Amino acid sequence: MEACPLYLTKNFKNPAALTFDGYVASGGYVALKKALSMQPQEIIDLVKAGNLRGRGGAGFPAGVKWGFLGKTEGPKYLCVNADEGEPGTVKDGPLMEFDPHQMIEGIAIACFALGIKWCYIYIRGEFYKAHRIVQKAVDEAYAKGVLGPKVMGSGFQLDVALHPGGGAYICGEETGLLSSLEGKKGFPKLKPPFPALKGLYGAPTIVNNVETLACVPHIINLGAEAWNALGTEKNGGTKMYNVCGHVMKPGYYETRHSITLRELIYDVCGGMKPGRTLKGVVPGGSSSPILLPSEIDVRMDFDSLGKAGTMLGSAAVIVMDDRTSIVRALDNLLHFYSHESCGQCTPCREGTHWLYLISQRIVNGEGKAGDVDRMLDICNNMVGNTICVLADAAALPTQSYIKKYRAEFDAYVLDGGRVGLLGNREEKAAAHA
Amino acid sequence: MSLITPELKARFDAVVARYPKGQEQSAVIPLLHAMQELGGGHLTQEHQQAVADFLNLPMSKVHEVTTFYTMFSLKPRGRQHLSVCRTLPCALCGSEDVTKALSARLGVGPGEVTADGEFSYEEVECLAQCHLGPVLQVGDTVYGDLTPDSTRSLIDTLSKKGRP
Ligand SMILES: Cc1cc2nc3c(=O)[nH]c(=O)nc-3n(C[C@H](O)[C@H](O)[C@H](O)COP(=O)(O)O)c2cc1C
Ligand code: SF4
Ligand code: FES
Repeated sequence: MEACPLYLTKNFKNPAALTFDGYVASGGYVALKKALSMQPQEIIDLVKAGNLRGRGGAGFPAGVKWGFLGKTEGPKYLCVNADEGEPGTVKDGPLMEFDPHQMIEGIAIACFALGIKWCYIYIRGEFYKAHRIVQKAVDEAYAKGVLGPKVMGSGFQLDVALHPGGGAYICGEETGLLSSLEGKKGFPKLKPPFPALKGLYGAPTIVNNVETLACVPHIINLGAEAWNALGTEKNGGTKMYNVCGHVMKPGYYETRHSITLRELIYDVCGGMKPGRTLKGVVPGGSSSPILLPSEIDVRMDFDSLGKAGTMLGSAAVIVMDDRTSIVRALDNLLHFYSHESCGQCTPCREGTHWLYLISQRIVNGEGKAGDVDRMLDICNNMVGNTICVLADAAALPTQSYIKKYRAEFDAYVLDGGRVGLLGNREEKAAAHA
Repeated sequence: MSLITPELKARFDAVVARYPKGQEQSAVIPLLHAMQELGGGHLTQEHQQAVADFLNLPMSKVHEVTTFYTMFSLKPRGRQHLSVCRTLPCALCGSEDVTKALSARLGVGPGEVTADGEFSYEEVECLAQCHLGPVLQVGDTVYGDLTPDSTRSLIDTLSKKGRP
C-alpha cells in the first residue's frame, strides 16, 4: 500500500498552526488569496470537477449543492455542520482542535464563491475545547483581516459566528440543525424545499460538514486533477476515517479513498487483538448496514460501499470481534435511535420505541417466537415514510444485523437469554494492569 | 430581571448581536448554557424566566428548548458532573463495567447527587471520542481508555480536586 500524502491532517502535529502566523507558515491562506482572484463560478466548477463529496454522511457532491443555492439580493447563509454525533465518528472534532484555520479558510473560499456574507458554525455543545480553539482562531482571523469587512484586502465581506448546540443527535440533520439555530427544538423539516432555497430564517442556505469545507483549500491549491488522483472515480481527495472497537490501534486516519476496508483494519490499524478474529464491521457510522468478514475487500468510497449494500456515511468504522454478541450490539444502537428520535413522525417514534422494547425483551431472555420477524416488519414500515432519514438510519442497520446473523438472533430467543458479551473487559483491564 | 447584572447584560447583548435583527430567539441555547453555568450546573425556573424575559420570549418557548436538549438540567447536579458514554463503540470496549464501577464508587445512580453535593453522573450517547472508548467527560476534559480500576482512581483524583 502506497503511503498517502497528508493534507487535512498535515498540521495535526504542528501546534504552531493554531495561530494565524503558524498556519500561514505552513502554507495556509494561499488558497484563499488565489480564490479571491478567481471568478466565483470558476471556484464552484473547480469543486465540482474535484468530485468533492459531502463528508457529513450523504456524500452529495459539494459543488453541485453549491450550484443550487438560491439567487437573491437578500441574505444567504453558510452553516457549518460541526455537530458530530454519529456513533463512531471522530474527525470534525480533531479537524477543529488541531487546525481551525484550515476550516476557516475553507469557509471563506466557499462564501466568496457563493456570495455569502454570513456564516454560522453550529458546533456540538459538548465540544467545549474545540469551541474555545475555533473561537480563538476566528478572533485572530478577524484581527488579521481574513474575516470582516475586507477579506484579505479585497472587496469581499464575511462574518463568522459560532453557535453551540444543546445536546441532540438530530441537530446533525441539516434541517434539524437550522431549526435549532433558530432557537427552537431541533425538529427536521420536510424537503423540498431544500435549505439551498429556503433554509436559515427562510433564506437560501448551504449546510456543509466541517471536513467538506476543510478539503476546499486543498482543491484550490492542487487543482481538480491532482485532487481527483488522490481518490477514486467520482470520489476526489483524501478522506478522514475513524476506526474504533476491537482493533489494535483505534484512531482517526487520513488516507486515500481507494483504501479497502481490509487494509484499513489490518494494515493501518494493526488488525484484531491477539487471538481474536473479525465477526462484523460497520463501515460508515452506526447508521450504516453491517458487513461480514467476507465483505471487507471493498473500497472505502461512497459508491463502492453503496454497491456493497451499505454506505460510507461518516466514515466511522466500528470493528467487532468474535466474542461480540451481535444481538446486544444491535440492542445498544436501538436504545440510541429510540432515544434520539425527535418524535415528529409516528413510524419513527413508534418504530424505534418498539424495536428497542422487543430487543430488550430478547436480550433479557424473554423473547417470544416471532419477535425477530416482528422487528423486521417494523423496519419495513419505517423506511421511506418519514420527514428525515433517522428512521431509515435505525431500520437499515437492524435489517442487516438480523439478516446477516439471523441464527444468533433465533438462538437468543430460543435459549431464553444466553448472555453474550458486549465489551471485551479482560483485555482492557489487562492493558492497564 | 434581578438575575441579569449589568455585566451579564453586556455579555448577553454580545451573544444576541451575532444574530440578525428580529432573530433574537437564536440566542436562546447559548444564553441558557451561560445561565446553567452561573446556576452551578442546572437551570431553575428563575434562570429560565430571566432568559425568556431577556429575549422577549414566552416561557413556553424556553421550556421547549430546556426539555428537548440533553445538556440542560432542570434538577441540581453535583459540583462535578460526569457524562459517561454508553453507545456501541464504547460499549464494545467495556463501558458497561466502567459505569457499574462508577456508580458503586459514588454510591449513587444516574441523575442522583452524592450526599456531599460533589458528584453526579449520567449515561450519555456517543461523545465523538470513540477511538478512546470507554470515555467519560467532566466539564471540558475527556478521560479515555477507562477500566473499572482507572475509573475508581479517577474519582479519587477528582475528589481531591473538589476540595480546595
Ligand atoms: C440523523 C442525522 C444525523 C446527521 N448528523 C450529522 C452530523 O453530525 N454532522 C454532519 O456533518 N452531518 C450530519 N448529517 C448529514 C446532514 O443532514 C447533511 O447532509 C450534511 O451536514 C451536509 O453536509 P455535506 O454535504 O458537507 O456532507 C446527519 C443526517 C442525519 C439524517
Ligand atoms: S424521522 Fe424520526 S427523527 Fe426524523 S423527523 Fe421524523 S421523528 Fe424526527
Ligand atoms: S461511543 Fe463513546 S464516544 Fe462515541
